[in-house]
Amino acid sequence: MGGEIQLVALAKRFGSVTAVDAVDLTIPQGEFFSLLGPSGCGKTTTLRMIAGFEQPTSGQVLLDGADMAGTPPNKRNVNTVFQSYALFPHMKVFDNVAYGLRRGHVGRADIKRRVGEVLEQVQLSTLASRKPAQLSGGQQQRVALARALVLKPAVLLLDEPLGSLDAKLRRQLQVELKALQEQVGITFLYVTHDQEEAITMSDRIAIMNHGHVEQAATPREMYEEPATAFVADFLGVSNLMDAQAAGTSGGAVTLDLGSGIAVEARGGDVSARGAVKVVIRPERVTIEQAGVTGPNRIPAMVTRSIYLGNGVRVITHLATGHSLTVLVPSMGNDTPATWEPGESVTCHLPASAMRVLPLDSGAADVQPVPAT
Amino acid sequence: MMKLRWAGRVALTGYFWAFVVFLFAPLAVLVVFAFNQSMTPTLPITGWTTHWFHQAFSDTELTGALLRSIGIGAATGLFATALGIIASIGLNARRLRLRALVVAVLLLPLVVPYISLAVGLLVLLNQLGLRISLWAVFLGHVVITLPFAVLVIFPRLRSLDPAMIEAARDLGSNELTAFNLVTLPLLVPSLVSSFLICFITSFDEFAIASFLAPPGQPTFPVFLYTGSRAPGLLPELIAIGSLIVVGSLVVIAIAEGGRRWAERRLRGITAGEAESAAPQDVPALQI
Repeated sequence: MGGEIQLVALAKRFGSVTAVDAVDLTIPQGEFFSLLGPSGCGKTTTLRMIAGFEQPTSGQVLLDGADMAGTPPNKRNVNTVFQSYALFPHMKVFDNVAYGLRRGHVGRADIKRRVGEVLEQVQLSTLASRKPAQLSGGQQQRVALARALVLKPAVLLLDEPLGSLDAKLRRQLQVELKALQEQVGITFLYVTHDQEEAITMSDRIAIMNHGHVEQAATPREMYEEPATAFVADFLGVSNLMDAQAAGTSGGAVTLDLGSGIAVEARGGDVSARGAVKVVIRPERVTIEQAGVTGPNRIPAMVTRSIYLGNGVRVITHLATGHSLTVLVPSMGNDTPATWEPGESVTCHLPASAMRVLPLDSGAADVQPVPAT
Repeated sequence: MMKLRWAGRVALTGYFWAFVVFLFAPLAVLVVFAFNQSMTPTLPITGWTTHWFHQAFSDTELTGALLRSIGIGAATGLFATALGIIASIGLNARRLRLRALVVAVLLLPLVVPYISLAVGLLVLLNQLGLRISLWAVFLGHVVITLPFAVLVIFPRLRSLDPAMIEAARDLGSNELTAFNLVTLPLLVPSLVSSFLICFITSFDEFAIASFLAPPGQPTFPVFLYTGSRAPGLLPELIAIGSLIVVGSLVVIAIAEGGRRWAERRLRGITAGEAESAAPQDVPALQI
């Protein structure tokens, strides 16, 4: 059935604005792959080039090894689920779904059977004779999905398909989408700016920024081992601090955080020297009593604490001048409900949880695009 | 304070009714005198008759002029609407060189006095060695109605989600099929509006027709104008005029009904459900 996408040095410029800048990606057949990034990062433009709605300025889109340049959207074995769904308002659900089959000159009986099957799959069988305007947002979304899936494409492109739904429905559909993808086994290329969505559904994620790919990895790698400060910051809450890398000993790098305070880090680029960024996830920091001393322990003052139900988020001000967010998971009644603002504590930043990242370079001279 | 408010209310109500009378009195008078027995349209009315209607319809000169105007109006409506679709597609393009100039040229006939246009067309025809004809009237009417067609069709076209056309392309349509199966059906309400507006404008147009309609083949407004100076014709003209007023009302009612029906179809709502349906932004007559 195929479905392997290769992007080779893919670039798109709109006038003087570079929307996509030399993107190289290989997405194997059957993978659930997400393009994640802030608006204007070029993720939607990349998707539109794969669909055939935009022509690359340079570089190639290969679908199962074949260069798609000059192939119009209607001749590509790729279908799209649009952010606005783009259902045909003058056609019933059945006719919306049958649209592509009719263009492909599929027989009448076959159309009926295949539309019936796919509507069954997305649980819309009973609504086949409704018009799109009579459906809820979630139902419209399913019609858009069914309309694309019924053609059995090698690749399904999804452009923020859950963007306009409320949070609860979105979570439910995330699970359904992932299950559906596993069931049909085709490649899903999913564009989103929602990191939670990307993490929960994807086999792999590429985080884009200013038109280029910052990192492509599994959600776990991406979260645990971010390659750049941008990735660390974009995916989940991170504490990013500027530091000076002083020297390495035994797989750990000594970092000067300022104010004469030094810590060790064992993650990331431990051979780096000079100005670097260091990142630590809030849940990896522990709060200890004031006055505790030892390696990687920094005196701090609580500035705010927020009760989250499953834990407490404590924002502290380190003696180094950095602000540090700590997530203290709830352990029942043993966990203090709050820390009072102004309270003195010690923050423990374990060396194994500290990752050294290079300073961002080069990314800033690429102009952001107004719309993805 | 309360007194002032009361006075304002009375003034506003008075203004409203004055407006209504001013607008409809001439039409009402026309309909009333159409059934008047007397040759002269003066009060008091001496008796009622439908004689003038019979006489009008047996007057071949009058019915000929009426049919000529209906024909030219229908042709103008169809042709201007077709051109309006094409112009709107061009205006809707993502990139269009000199967009402001193109818009200005398209809408120019709105601000050019018809009489100037008529003289210009006459001179042009002479220069080309062509004779004035009903074709010339038709062409002149297409020129003056095209802006209306664009003004009605373009906003509707622009309101369509471009992703819909992309979806049609994505699902295997070439550009022409996507247009025919998706864009065109969704434009229908605006096409009907455009046709009616262009038809009425052409039907009603005097200046261009008076210059370009050949002798012996007047359009209805031209015939009315020349006929109104022959006193014997006046009662017939009043009768036909009143018929046209009533006819226009019927056409408008049918068109509005049709538009609502089309919108309901679009929303997939049967008449009974219309009240409870979620309000949706379907533009009405966009002018």
